[in-house]
Amino acid sequence: MNLATDPWVWIAAILTLAVFSFLYRENPFYRFAEHLFVGIANGYIITFYWHRILVPYLFNPVFHGQKLWLIAIAIVGAFYFTRFIPKISWLVRIPIAVVLGYGAGASIPRSVDANILQQVKATIITRSSFADTIAGPGWQLGIWAIVIAIGVICTITYFFFSAQQKGILKPVSRIGIIFVMVGFGASFGYTVMARISLFIGRLQFLLRDWLGVIQ
Amino acid sequence: MKFWDRLLAIDRRWIYIVIWLVVMLPLLFPFKIRPIAMPPVIRLFNYIDTMPEDKALLISIDYTPDTEPELHPMAYALLRHAFANRTKVGVLCVNSVMSLGLGENAVRVVAEEFNSHATTNADSIIYGRDVVFWGWSTPFVTVLLGMGEKITNVFPVDYYGAATESLPITPYIKNYDDAGILVTIAASSVPQSWITYAQVQFGLPIGCGITAVSAADYYVYLNSGQFTGMLAGMKGAAEYEELVEQKLMREDKDWGLRRKATEAMSSQTAAHIAIMLFIIIGNVAFFATRRRKS
Repeated sequence: MNLATDPWVWIAAILTLAVFSFLYRENPFYRFAEHLFVGIANGYIITFYWHRILVPYLFNPVFHGQKLWLIAIAIVGAFYFTRFIPKISWLVRIPIAVVLGYGAGASIPRSVDANILQQVKATIITRSSFADTIAGPGWQLGIWAIVIAIGVICTITYFFFSAQQKGILKPVSRIGIIFVMVGFGASFGYTVMARISLFIGRLQFLLRDWLGVIQ
Repeated sequence: MKFWDRLLAIDRRWIYIVIWLVVMLPLLFPFKIRPIAMPPVIRLFNYIDTMPEDKALLISIDYTPDTEPELHPMAYALLRHAFANRTKVGVLCVNSVMSLGLGENAVRVVAEEFNSHATTNADSIIYGRDVVFWGWSTPFVTVLLGMGEKITNVFPVDYYGAATESLPITPYIKNYDDAGILVTIAASSVPQSWITYAQVQFGLPIGCGITAVSAADYYVYLNSGQFTGMLAGMKGAAEYEELVEQKLMREDKDWGLRRKATEAMSSQTAAHIAIMLFIIIGNVAFFATRRRKS
């Protein structure tokens, strides 16, 4: 055993154990660690915004008499704080509208391309779907391309609520729900892997950096 | 109360203790597991490995300390790969200021690893010449679109406050045209945004390193070819570490670099077996008690 001498490692280890104590039950140590984290994170973010955004991009140019139009932008941004004054709280809609308008305008056309057109294109089976690549031999990839196309059609059919699911729609939507369940299973498996990974990371820290019992 | 009823009513804290032991024991008494790289990882590795010399690797550190165990080893492995290839690297954060410390750590530690074995100035990894850490800027969409025109407009100063125009690396990474690929390491929807803005608008190839939780969501982008390659969770990081180590050994650079993700694979395997057993036992108990009740 080679205990850490760095006080910061001790603080991190004690806070880690305080958070883990929640597994036993809710307790003041856990709540202390949780509140400390929220406070420090917010303090860090606010300080960072002040020093790295507001000072260099707003205060410095304006105080040097450059880019004076930034004052108008800053005033519009400051309208966010009118939420705290009920009489003029409606002013908050102005910066929200600007942000939403800009965001929607920038993202909608590109999202249609990235998330709809390219995805639909990927379900189209062509001769290249059966070509050998690094991912495997062509016949194997071709079969998967067919499975994906069937899966997409069946799953969309399952979520097609404008018509009663009877006749041909019934077996197709049943196959669709199988694909959905397989998707949920894959997500669950990956979620287990992710959570265990995070726990391993903390244990590596406790056993190596703090207690020094592993190399 | 019958055995199966007692099993179904077990206090969950017993399960936590079992998981704790199952994860901790392989860390104390590890058994060696050699990760076998899967096609999504091999594709990303090969793409970076065969990039033209004049193309840079951009790495977007879009994760925060809560997902560090899964994603930080990816940043290390990617930087090692790029430095071994003498590829110029630009590192940035777009998602959160909380990623800055992790980005700075990855660049500094991996550069030190290489510099501790360097014999000449040309062998060394020099900040500003071989690698730059631009830091973080806002707003998100403007950064992603603005970098396609001129990176120094978006990042007038780097993380350390130096003017980016004055850095020797800047003429080699002016905008996305100079980048061979951007790899986003993220624990959120940021990879999707990189596709939406940087790829659709500028045709930038994108690779991703993501948490295992989001892997199932991102396979569709891999299948469509929008992602060049993908590292999923700690296992993906371990696979990339393996490929990088093989490459370093081929180049007589067997430096015994620490592989944090690979070290965790024995615990990961043991925990997965335990979870599978829990699922089987839970289902057997459920059906056994249901049959008796009916």
